[in-house]
Amino acid sequence: MAGVVLENLSWKKLIILGVFLLLLLLTFFLIGGLIAPAPSNVIYITGTKCIANRTHLDHDKWFIPRGHNEMCDQIWSFDDERVEKEIITASQIVFSFWIPHPKEGGQLKMYRWFQTLLGVLTLDIKYDPKNPVTDKAKLQLDARIGYRGADDDPKDWKLLAQSLEERQLDCAMDEAIEGYHYKCDILQLFELGSVHYDYYLVNIRLPTFDNSDVNAGIGVLEDLHLVVIHQNGGFTKVWLSMKTVLFPMILALLIWYWRRITQLERPPSLLEKTLFVLGIALSLLNLPMEWLTCWLYLPFMLLVGDIRQGIFYAVLLSFWLIFAGEHLMDQVERNKLVMYWKHLSAVGFGCLCLFIFEICERGIQLTDPFFSVWVTDVGANLALTFIVLAGVAACSYFLFLCYMIFKVFRNISAKKSALPQMSKARKKYYMGLIYRFRFLMALTLVCAALTVIFFIISQVSEGQWKWGDDGIHLEYTSAFFTGVYGMWNVYVFGLLCLYAPSHKVITVTEDTDQSQEETVQLTHIPSEASALASDSQPMETSALHPSEGSILQGFMSKQAAD
Amino acid sequence: MLRKTLLVFFGFYMMTLQSSTRVEAIRWLAMANMNSVITVQQPSLCDELVGLVKRQKTICKRNIEVMESVKLGAKLAIDECQYQFRNRRWNCSTIDAVRLFGNVLKLGTREASFVHALSSAGVAIAVTRACSSGEIDKCGCDRTVRGRSPEGFEWSGCSDNIAYGTAFSKTFVDARERRRKNKKKYGRALMNLHNNEAGRRAVEDHMKVECKCHGVSGSCELKTCWRAMSSYREVGERIKEKFDGATEVKLQNTKSGQKLVLVNPRLKLHTDADLVYLVASPDFCEPDDKIGSFGTYGRVCNKTSKAIDGCDLMCCGRGYETRRKTVAERCMCKFHWCCYVICKTCEKTIEEHTCK
Repeated sequence: MAGVVLENLSWKKLIILGVFLLLLLLTFFLIGGLIAPAPSNVIYITGTKCIANRTHLDHDKWFIPRGHNEMCDQIWSFDDERVEKEIITASQIVFSFWIPHPKEGGQLKMYRWFQTLLGVLTLDIKYDPKNPVTDKAKLQLDARIGYRGADDDPKDWKLLAQSLEERQLDCAMDEAIEGYHYKCDILQLFELGSVHYDYYLVNIRLPTFDNSDVNAGIGVLEDLHLVVIHQNGGFTKVWLSMKTVLFPMILALLIWYWRRITQLERPPSLLEKTLFVLGIALSLLNLPMEWLTCWLYLPFMLLVGDIRQGIFYAVLLSFWLIFAGEHLMDQVERNKLVMYWKHLSAVGFGCLCLFIFEICERGIQLTDPFFSVWVTDVGANLALTFIVLAGVAACSYFLFLCYMIFKVFRNISAKKSALPQMSKARKKYYMGLIYRFRFLMALTLVCAALTVIFFIISQVSEGQWKWGDDGIHLEYTSAFFTGVYGMWNVYVFGLLCLYAPSHKVITVTEDTDQSQEETVQLTHIPSEASALASDSQPMETSALHPSEGSILQGFMSKQAAD
Repeated sequence: MLRKTLLVFFGFYMMTLQSSTRVEAIRWLAMANMNSVITVQQPSLCDELVGLVKRQKTICKRNIEVMESVKLGAKLAIDECQYQFRNRRWNCSTIDAVRLFGNVLKLGTREASFVHALSSAGVAIAVTRACSSGEIDKCGCDRTVRGRSPEGFEWSGCSDNIAYGTAFSKTFVDARERRRKNKKKYGRALMNLHNNEAGRRAVEDHMKVECKCHGVSGSCELKTCWRAMSSYREVGERIKEKFDGATEVKLQNTKSGQKLVLVNPRLKLHTDADLVYLVASPDFCEPDDKIGSFGTYGRVCNKTSKAIDGCDLMCCGRGYETRRKTVAERCMCKFHWCCYVICKTCEKTIEEHTCK
């Protein structure tokens, strides 16, 4: 009888492995909760109001908010009497943002560890009954992003991106009191997939023209704030360290697993191949290629990261399907990928939809950081369509999966009632199948439940923002990320260990009567005829090594007790 | 003696106003200084300021570049006070640059509590804003949550500027009250400290929390939130609400030292965010320099209103005069989000009621 490691593992060993994996998981959780800072942080920058030259508006000039000689001509507020005196117009105003702030007596700088930079705008629009925000007002932004190194000349800003963007303004007012601010939705401005330079400079103009309604209905704008969200350096370091440790571990296990399979006399079964692919997908996800960003300018890293994650989840979903399918026990020969085309196409279609969406959003952002599919009506509808389609695909996938699991359980109960009449070998074969299936079901459910629980905890703790100092506390969001990431690693680790073909079985079968019919492989389902034939054959009880204290025996006795 | 104590707190306003005797010039002053952040760095200026206590002068010298924002905060507070009280008998008007509001704040009245709360809120807001726009580089970066990390900004980013703004307001505005060990004025010191804190609470409690989702493909798997300040008008409005519901307290010896307790124990105990006062306000009907009242003679009132801005209450029953007046105002304006482009001047005749 050939099987997987799981069936031939003693309770003791299984418990040791389980405890080891659990401790590993706990470690990941605690690393995130205690060592890592929050995954991301914000830099909240209020725009400096620089004044451009009246006649030629200085379109190619950088307006720098501070510095000895390079500081722009600026006003503190539009109530300034200079505005009226010098008849400053809206087109002359340039909002200037230098990322990051000066703090504690010196100019901070950005670090490559920050990985991503997301810029959103918030507007302080004062309620003034004479100049209200009109319905469906649109904001037109003439935005430029520049960068410079800390050692460069203070005036030497280089252009990173430039665009004329339009954003839909969505503002509401609870109490219409003069001087109150509208509650406006935040506006996405840009997203950079790499933080390669020390300083970034954003210049924004809101142009107006005499005979057009561009930027006409946006009310009385008092201030423009740029909220820059970046990944925390500490989080990146912890995250990358985790990946760097996990990658060789999983890779080594994967090599061991593949060697076991190649040692078998038969070709690898579909399930074994799928498990192997799952391991590869995880290794791809673990591959700590973010280290390269320390030296190279790789703006596509964000996109690549998302795609890697997508591939892993797609393979994981496919694995569950195939696993359920291979344990159906309905005497249908599957073991071929084509048998699952219906089910897998749901996964494939969903992933394709998300991939297209991803390429549209983050792919285009590679060339134009200001781009977002959500800002135009057509883009937003298109993006929504793809997401809805992906949702439909996900739903149909889960229906397929639930139906298959239901069928498996139905067959299990049918087989269970038939078990006492079966020959020992067939019985053992089915018991093994049932056990394997139940074990994976339990493991998967635990992992899925933990993911959901972690997610809820991190969301709830997010809701109760505490902004002061309250001693030591767990960084739930980071713990969620490291915990869940570690958990799926542990999950695949466990699967690769436990569902690898067992060596012991081969020696056992060699010891016994070499009955090939009885050597049931992981997913090989004997035809009805051979199964019948095996029923009639005399069966060696020593198929299981007595000294192994087989888990299967334990399982069987438990079944009997039930 | 009493006058001195009062004026010390407003020392900073004096700095604001002494720089120029014309109120209109303050704005210009703030502007001028903003254009030359470097030249303001003259710690010797701190000693020239009238009314700052020693500790405040030390803070001033150490944080000279923050002082510009403190000044601005003071200016904001005066403007907001005058806006909020524009319809009341005491309308927050200043006598002159040195005496400022005059004697009205000498006593621990509601008005005093309001001005204290408003000014500490004003400083907190102005300093926070200056930090956010990068005007001052003194602002702190520490992540108090996990203690100061040696890697600081690189490891976990900086705390938001509001934390620094309120902390600075606490250090600077409260400094002079903390000095008062004088038993005679201990009650007043406690009252001021409480109201200063209430002002800062009004800022902190009315923060907007904004969030952005930015997980995989922009999903809400990862969400980052931050705090943003409401407009100062909104904060002023909240403090005005607290003014309307202020609690009268008195100093009492308790086991744990002297404390402010309710005068009427049946009322609800005040919280940290509520305003407290020690003495009831005068009616401000007649001019009385001792209590800082200007009286309401000649004040404009609303004929139809039954509230405090109505002619009955505002004029304290003395009756009112009605005058027809022609005023010129801006009209038919074209406005572009920041600035008026073209305006015409229209003349309008209005009826104005003033108290006898």
